[in-house]
Amino acid sequence: MKRLWQRLLRAFSQRPADQDYSEEIQSHIDLLAGLHQDAGLPEEAARQLARRQFGNPTRIQEQVRGIHLNPFLEYLAQDLRFALRSLRRQPVFSCTAIAAIALGMGASTAVFSVVDRILFRDLPYAHQDKLVSFGLTAPIQQGEFMLGPDYVEWRASQKPFEAVTSWSGVNDCDLNDTNPVRLLCARVESTFLPTFGINPVLGRNFTPEEDLPNGPRVALLSHALWHSRFHANPAIAGKSIIIDGQSLLITGVLPADFELPSLDRADILLPQALNMSTARGPGMVVLWAFARLKPGVTAPQAEKALGSLFQRSLQFVPAGFRKEVFLRVRTLRDRQFQHARTASWVLLCAVIAVLLIGCANVASLMLARALSRDRELAVRAALGGGRWRLIRQTLTESLVLSCAAGLAGCLLAAALLRWFVRIAPEGIPRLQQATLDLRVLAFAFLLSIACGLLFGLAAALRNPRPASLTGSRGTWKPHSFLHAGLVTGQIAASIVLLTAAGLLIGALWSLQNRQPGIQPETVLLAPLTLPQQTTPAVRHAFFRQLETNLARLPGLTTLALSDSVPPTGPARDMIYSLIQVEGRPSAPQGTGGMVTWRTVTPAYFPALGIRILQGRGFLDQDRMPGPPSMILSQALARRLFPTGGAVGAKIRMGGGGDWHEVIGVAADVMNNSEYYVARRLLPAPETQRRATFIFRTPLDQTAMAAAIRTEIAHLDPLLPVTVEPMTRRLAELTARPKFNAVLLGLFAWMGLLLAAVGIYGVLSFLVAQRRREIGVRMALGATSSSITRLVLGQAMRWIAAGTLLGCAGAYAASRYLQTLLLDVPGRSMLSLAIAVAILIAFGLTAAWIPGRRAALVDPATTLRFD
Amino acid sequence: MQNAAGSLHGTLDLLILKTLARDPNHGFGISLHIKEASAGLLAVEEGSLYPALHRLERAKLIQGHWRATANARRARYYSLTASGRKRLAAAEDSWNTVAQGVTRMMRFA
Repeated sequence: MKRLWQRLLRAFSQRPADQDYSEEIQSHIDLLAGLHQDAGLPEEAARQLARRQFGNPTRIQEQVRGIHLNPFLEYLAQDLRFALRSLRRQPVFSCTAIAAIALGMGASTAVFSVVDRILFRDLPYAHQDKLVSFGLTAPIQQGEFMLGPDYVEWRASQKPFEAVTSWSGVNDCDLNDTNPVRLLCARVESTFLPTFGINPVLGRNFTPEEDLPNGPRVALLSHALWHSRFHANPAIAGKSIIIDGQSLLITGVLPADFELPSLDRADILLPQALNMSTARGPGMVVLWAFARLKPGVTAPQAEKALGSLFQRSLQFVPAGFRKEVFLRVRTLRDRQFQHARTASWVLLCAVIAVLLIGCANVASLMLARALSRDRELAVRAALGGGRWRLIRQTLTESLVLSCAAGLAGCLLAAALLRWFVRIAPEGIPRLQQATLDLRVLAFAFLLSIACGLLFGLAAALRNPRPASLTGSRGTWKPHSFLHAGLVTGQIAASIVLLTAAGLLIGALWSLQNRQPGIQPETVLLAPLTLPQQTTPAVRHAFFRQLETNLARLPGLTTLALSDSVPPTGPARDMIYSLIQVEGRPSAPQGTGGMVTWRTVTPAYFPALGIRILQGRGFLDQDRMPGPPSMILSQALARRLFPTGGAVGAKIRMGGGGDWHEVIGVAADVMNNSEYYVARRLLPAPETQRRATFIFRTPLDQTAMAAAIRTEIAHLDPLLPVTVEPMTRRLAELTARPKFNAVLLGLFAWMGLLLAAVGIYGVLSFLVAQRRREIGVRMALGATSSSITRLVLGQAMRWIAAGTLLGCAGAYAASRYLQTLLLDVPGRSMLSLAIAVAILIAFGLTAAWIPGRRAALVDPATTLRFD
Repeated sequence: MQNAAGSLHGTLDLLILKTLARDPNHGFGISLHIKEASAGLLAVEEGSLYPALHRLERAKLIQGHWRATANARRARYYSLTASGRKRLAAAEDSWNTVAQGVTRMMRFA
């Protein structure tokens, strides 16, 4: 090893060893001269004689050196020196090639690493790979669910699962303390923690006895609540807290990384206290059931094993809906990320498309250079360069380039990743620990190198033609067809890949994003929940009084009240097929999915900034007794009245009740809230337990929030109040899409930049090769503007051909992608047009700058060049 | 060099190894000794001597190190290594065989 290192050192730095050889030879000459001197010659003459007798010391020195050197290392050192020199001589080529690889590698690796982290992170459950979600699917619920009696039966007689558990969602609950606060309580079965493999960090889980209806009242605290509210008191287990007016015993504290399977936030876990009765009826609860598979059982096998239980449960489903009810068993991961699989494939394809743009660039750059090196290689072959030697030389050059670019790519990827993590919104679990995905990094690196090597070799593999030696002044014929093909192909490939990347990125974006349809600025929300024991009359009086009091607050533009507020949070919904339109036969079979509805006060639409598209909004007189009316969302109006005519029609809900006149159609808001009612005849917002006050105010939001809180505390000091800006509520929903948009947008731009850099590199390289021809033309009297015209004209022809070809390819590619992805946005065509325009501009600039430079140089200089 | 007998290289190598078997010596000393010992019949050119010396050194048959000469000049002295000694013995044997064979052939013809 040491010897190898010494040899390497010697190979790279010729000095010390050489000195050794020359010293030895010098000493020989000295000794010889000494002999002559002893024989009586004067010193100077003796020296000269000795030197003459000795022969050629340099040749001997070279021979000796050759003996000691490892030829492989020696050639390597030579090749490296040569490669570095030649890459330095063509900075445009080197820089574009390095930039192409670095950008492609860096962007694709960093984006993949981050998105992969979001989609495929580890779940914080000990048994994460064996956890499945099971239940029925029906249009009335998102995701599979179980009805209480079915669950009790299935739990008793299922075979494929090692453990089964369920939970029933998150609800508001109030911590009644000196400082009352609204919390989120999740109800879970006593088997919930053991099935998921979660251990409390303090205290214990519920016992099955505590999970019975009317059992002892207990609670588990979340780690965050334990810290914020109880100062991480280690003796908290065994103490009691008052939730919704009832005293509960704290049995333990959840770990910090605890997560509900729905990813909802929860401050407290309460026992589900499921009723063990298997009687079906109106009081049935809806559950989410999860299970741990027995060893060796897969989710599809479990689904098969549950078939007979499912058939039994199906008998209790109303006949009209039976066709829409299915059994589903899928992994927890699949349930959490509904689109994860599609999204990840789309992402991977987009990454590969961008990477391929990089590779295409490198390939065509290498090819362009290879073509232009014809003469150089012919000269070297004529001077005795062996074939293998020339191939090795080219390979070394490609490798040097690829390694430099690979290094730059790694650095870029690392820098981008750090930047992504910094701009990422709060709450993306474990994104902070995201690291570069080494698989993708390695793949990207190897692919780039392979591209470089493959196309770099093209030059060396061809037999050098003696004709190349003639110098062929001024002619540029031999390769013009190849060059044209190269540029055309490069542009076409870039456009196709860019289209594909753009479509894929657009699809990924639309998988994750929806427009809120609300103007959230200057809006404050105050959701209130009255205690359970209040009667509708008491609620009505309370909310009416509060509304009157709040309306007096100075600086308030609009005040509205609604039983729910988009886009998130609890809202009421009903089955679509139960909506009846007057004068039409009853709806067809099936449920048709769910429709969200809200009861609102007339100021609801102006307060949230939702536009009324047809008809009118609610007026104050709509709160008075009179004919009932409603407003539909645009989506529902289109669905119910595909041919128009929604306004004025009469609609009835749930098979009975009053006919409501549709007085208007409102713009859609996020999450499909589809119709609104403001009639006294339906439960008005002020008779519900839960209602949200909506404030629109130009004043400072903090001051206004304080005033609102004071006003409410004035009326009921024990009611917990949170006043939050609408923007914050939306931000929770849009922060991640925004982050994803930045990520994907950046990715798309990288792709475009890459394509542009590549086209610039190839074109400017090729035009620069024509310096001599341009010199000849100038010498023969061409003007610089005619040269520019010539160069630009040719480039334009190439670019035009490439663009046409690329657009045709892009069309085919997008048709193909559309068959793969249903949701390909049409607006991406505009962005594609912009991208193509940018590519063309880059291409023309790339031809113009070197052409112009060549035209401005004195012809004599260019002619002498090389 | 494996089968030293017969080749020109082998002859020079044999001469060098034989010279160094007596005493360590430098390149100039070696060429001088060969000239004297062969009574001027054999003369080694420097152009062959030094490459041969370095080839032998690389093959670890001899070892070179710098030392002062008798009249206080610096020179690179070569000495036989253990494997060099072995190689010399083998080469001498085969040389003798070849020389006898060649001599007999010459007489016979």
